[in-house]
Formats: sequence, C-alpha cells, structure tokens
Amino acid sequence: MTNRRDPVWRFLLPSFLFIGVFSLYPIIESFRLSLYRMILTMPWLGEKFVGWENYWDLATDPVARGSFLTSLLFVAVTTPIEVLVGLAMALVLNESFRGRGWLRAIVLIPWAVPTVVSSQMWRFIFNDRYGLFNYLIFGSATQKYWAPLAEPDLALMAIMLADVWKTSSFAGLILLAGLQGIPGELYEAAAIDGASAWQKFRHVTLPLLKPALLLALLFRTIDALKVFDLVFVMTQGGPADTTNILQFYGYKKIFAEGMIGYGSAIAVAVFAVSLLLSILYLRLSGAAIMRREPAA
Amino acid sequence: MLITSAIVFLCVLLMSIEGDAEQLRFVTWRSEATAVFQRIIADFESSHPGMKVIQEIGPSSSTEFHDLVTQKLRNRDPEMDVFFMDVVWPAEFAAAGWALALDAFFPRSAQKAFLDAPIRANTYEGNIYGVPMFVDAGMLYYRKDLLAKYHLPPPATWPELVRQARTIISQERDPYLTGYSAQFKQYEGLVCNMMEFILSNGGALWDEQRLMSSVHTANAMEAVRFVRDDIVRLIANRGILAYQEPESLALFTQGRAVFHRNWPYAWEASNDPAQSKVAGKVGVMALPAFPGQKSAATLGGWQLAISRFSRRAQLAWEFVQFMTSSETQKRIALGTGRAPARQELYHDAEILKRSPQFQSQFETFRLATPRPRTPVYLPLSNILQRYFSSAIALADSNIEELARTAARNMDRTLELLRDRSKS
Repeated sequence: MTNRRDPVWRFLLPSFLFIGVFSLYPIIESFRLSLYRMILTMPWLGEKFVGWENYWDLATDPVARGSFLTSLLFVAVTTPIEVLVGLAMALVLNESFRGRGWLRAIVLIPWAVPTVVSSQMWRFIFNDRYGLFNYLIFGSATQKYWAPLAEPDLALMAIMLADVWKTSSFAGLILLAGLQGIPGELYEAAAIDGASAWQKFRHVTLPLLKPALLLALLFRTIDALKVFDLVFVMTQGGPADTTNILQFYGYKKIFAEGMIGYGSAIAVAVFAVSLLLSILYLRLSGAAIMRREPAA
Repeated sequence: MLITSAIVFLCVLLMSIEGDAEQLRFVTWRSEATAVFQRIIADFESSHPGMKVIQEIGPSSSTEFHDLVTQKLRNRDPEMDVFFMDVVWPAEFAAAGWALALDAFFPRSAQKAFLDAPIRANTYEGNIYGVPMFVDAGMLYYRKDLLAKYHLPPPATWPELVRQARTIISQERDPYLTGYSAQFKQYEGLVCNMMEFILSNGGALWDEQRLMSSVHTANAMEAVRFVRDDIVRLIANRGILAYQEPESLALFTQGRAVFHRNWPYAWEASNDPAQSKVAGKVGVMALPAFPGQKSAATLGGWQLAISRFSRRAQLAWEFVQFMTSSETQKRIALGTGRAPARQELYHDAEILKRSPQFQSQFETFRLATPRPRTPVYLPLSNILQRYFSSAIALADSNIEELARTAARNMDRTLELLRDRSKS
C-alpha cells in the first residue's frame, strides 16, 4: 500500500484504452472528416480540406434545419413522458406485493426486445387495414380506419408513442434503483410526524429521488436525440419529410449518398447537442448525481 | 500449451485457405427460389472442377443491399468478386471506380442479345458495367371481373382510370374497396411511381444533356397535381402514402383494390390461389398515359457486376457469363417466373407456356425508361422522394414552390458533375 499511485493507474489503464479506442477515436475521426469535402461517388473531387464549410452548409440547409427541429420536438415530447411513466412504474414496483419479482421482469420486456423488431411490430399495429390500433379505436367500422404512418400530422406522434412504450421501463428501472436507495427510517419518521402519503412523496421521496430523476432524464434525452431504428423501419423519414429526424438524415447522407464530409458534420452536430444538454443537466442538478454516487 | 494449440489452429486455418484457392465470393440477396439458384451454382461448380462459389446472402431490400455492397467496395474488399447490382447503381459504381468495366468480356455484339433498356442502364460514359439478369418494369394490374361487370374497357388514360374507379366504387358500395393501390411511401418506390406519371404526361425528371432538373416544368407539375387531386384524394385510401410493394400488393390480392401498379412479380402472386382471393380475375397491361401522350414504365431489375478489387476477374467473368447465359436465364425464368433480360427468351415456347403474360409485357420491358443515369442518382432520389411525398401527402401543398425548391437542389447536386467535365 506504500506505492499507491502506480497500481491505480495500471488498473485504470484498460478502461482508458477501451474508451480511447471505442469512443474518443471515432469522435475525433468524425470531427476530422467533417472538415473535408469527401464524396465517395465522385472520387475526382478528391479529399479536399474545406474547414468549416460543411458546418456552414448545415446551418443554411433548410432540410437539416427541419430535421433538427423534428429531433428536438421528439426529445421534448418523449423524454418527460417517459420519465413520468417510468416514475409511476417505479412507485408501483417499489411496493411489496405478490408477484412483484415477475412484474419487475415483465415491464422490462419492451426495452429488452431489439428495436428493429418492435419497430416492425408497431408498423403493423399502425397499419391502415388490419392494424390493432385501428381495431381498438374503431372496432369493425373499417371505413373509419386511420393510416397514422401516412398522415403528416400523425406519423411523428405514432413514432413517439412507440418510443414511449419501448423505453419508459428503462427510466423506471433507474428510478426504482433510486427509490430503493432511500432509507426506510425517513418514512417512519415522517409517519410519526403525521405526514400524509402525498406529503411523504412530496417531501421525502421526490427530493431524495432528484439525482435518479436527473440521471433518467439525461439518459433518455441523449437516447431520444439518437433515435434512428424506429424511423428507419416505420417511415423512412416520410410522409412529407415529417419524421426525417437529424440522425436519419445523417445516415442517408453518409450511407446512401456517400457524402462522408457532410454526413460527419451532421454526426458531430448531434454529438455536440447531446454534450451540451448533458452539461446543462449536470449544472442544473448541482452535481447532485456525483454527490449521491458513494451513498448508493 | 496454449501457444502450441494456437500454432496448430493457425496452420489448420492456413491450410484450409490454401486448400481451395479457387474460391469465388458471390454477394447476393435471398431469392424467392433459393433451390433454383443452388442447383445452378452447383452446375457451375461441376463444370469448373476445383472451383467453389461462396454465396454471401445480404438483405433483400435494395437500399439495405446497397449499404452492404458499397461498404465492401469502399473498403476495397478483395474477397467480394461478383455481386448483384440494382439498375440504378451502374453510374455510381462506375464513377467511383468500384465496378469493373466489362467491355473486353462483353462486347457490343454480345450486348445485342439483351433487351436494350437494361443495356442502356448498365452503360455509363460509353462503357458497360453489368450484365442484365432480370428486368422489371411498372405495370397496371386490374380486376377483369369488376371492369366486365360495368362494361368498362381497360383504361387507356389516367383520367379514364380515375372515372372507372369512381364508378365501380360508388356502385359496389363495398367499404373495403379502394380504387388504386401503389407505392406512395417516401422511399425509392415513390420515385418510380411518380416518374411514370410524369413521363406519361410528356414530362421528365431531368434533362440529361444539360444536367438540369425538369421537375418544375409545366407537364411534370401537372402530373404531380393529378396524383394529389385525383388519385390520392378521389380513388385511393390515405394508407397508400405509407405503402411499399408488399402492403399495396396485399390490398389488391385481398380483393380490395380495383387497380394496382406493381412490378411483374405481382402477376404470379395475384394469380396464386393460395395467397390471393382474386386469382384468375386479374388483368395486366401497360400503364395508362395522359390524353395524347405515351405510356411510360420505370425500368427496374438486377444485373451481375464484378468488383474492381476482385483478384480473380477472369474467373468472375466466367461465372457471370454462366449465370446470364441463355440456358441459365431460361432455368431461372421457369423456376421463379422472373422476367429474363435476354430478348430471345420472350419467344421461347416453354417460358411462354409458363408465363403467357410475357408475350404482351415484352413491349413494356423493351420500352421501359431507366431512372437518371448519374453517379449522383441517390442524392437526386432523396430530393425527389422528399418533393413528391410533400406534394401529394397534403391536399393544399404548394406544388409550384416545392417543385422549384426540388429543382434548385437537384441542380446544385448536378453542379458537382459539371465540375468534373471542366477539370
């Protein structure tokens, strides 16, 4: 234990290497590529350094702006709903009742199913002829059936619904861990003071759950900003470009159109926005997440 | 111990690679008749002793298959020798230097045996990059029984089609019945469908000589407006805006659509009693045109191409030649019902006995129009998909403004090609 510094670094080295190779390097490489004009299908243009040109194009590209707003709308709507639904789940699952273990496992199923599979399932649910969604609302009055994925006003909402279904339980899982970290004595003390159930929730649960809530919000925000498979499977960005979120637009630029430079600029922009939001959350939380860590 | 076993393992690995040096990797998608292809490839192998063809099966969606193939080509993967190429890729793969020019193997004289449209689609700046395997072209399927019931002839023009569909729907009083089923989702299929409307109104997607967009010309916009106001609003159900091929075909085979636009494979599917309620009641014909104009069909289909990074180009060519030979194409046509790319097979008695519709479809295949042949086709297609979907999905869309924006974006993309001729 005398020479303490040295072994610590040796133990940390593997994870630093891992992060360096799999996180840092791709980010730096994406950034480097985003400063070049590089179009795979036009090799005669060469690999030309263009500085911030791709970012300037991005800022003035109306389609990108539309995609960015769609992404923000998606985040702004789904994240709070998912955390609220997750909170409700966590509160229920934190109570003791018969079959709780089973229920805890079951609510995680939507989250555990690969997104590509569940997206396909939601596509069937929203089908305009035989979809379950229509059947639940209109029964056998098929002439009234909607086609949510064909309507510019509804398609994004349909995808949001699928996302809420899929990821609320993940938020619930984080919140459940937070709830379990709250010492039982606090509730006993509150009961002795004559606190009602609401008062217990308001003055004991909620303040102590704040770090977990922020963590859930943070994870969901970053994930929602990166949503891709739902759009890829359900709508391909349509109808009328209303579900063309920024990630999907970037994918099309790089993989279909071969615009490596411009597509990388989009990827870096998405990364920058999630980084910015993460910093914002951490600031807002007053680093509460960090403080709670050792206690949990 | 560990090191010894690792060395043994490596040796075995190396030996197994050494053992079959004559390997050819064929990147393909899952066929509807895998067994037919297996037998054909086995026959190729037995005619080339010591040679092994490894099939790598990719996704069957063209867009996803493109992701797979271009990833290999970008990485200059020498393992991939032969691959399937969609009819819209040759220009892109040629310009990027990914596909091998086949002129030495596949001279003009040999090309003449194939349908002209796919040969043109495989030609870029005077060189040929693929050998056509199957052809596809948009066609109109219709319910013979319903048209006969109301004494209506198959429609020659689009407005006539709309009138007939409205008559039949209002008389049939079937809440499930819709007039028109096609592929109007925002994806590649939408471009194919809309191009047929635009060309059959005397319009065009682009001006190939001047490298300029033509979507904002009067004829092109008129066709788009017709689709929005007459097809989508009057005779189709809203769901059509989310349909790809399978959903639109299902509607037709369930007996819920009077008219249906699809590729040739829909003939087999809609006449198969096991999966279709309208088997035997289906007619097929060339798509209608606008009054005074000519019918148009978008060319689709698949070709075999050789990677420029293949180390076995000569062997790869022997394989391509075998796969696209008259005998093999005949076997595939008989085994799968797909339309062959060789002209003579449309006069082959056995094939016509199995697929009598080829007789009347030959003319459509012959005259089908390729989508813009340019290395920037995919960027153009994404612009067009966005434009068409926005124009037809909203009843009050400003088509003129949307068309101008699309044309401006297309011109900007095509600008990159003009830089090339300068340099």
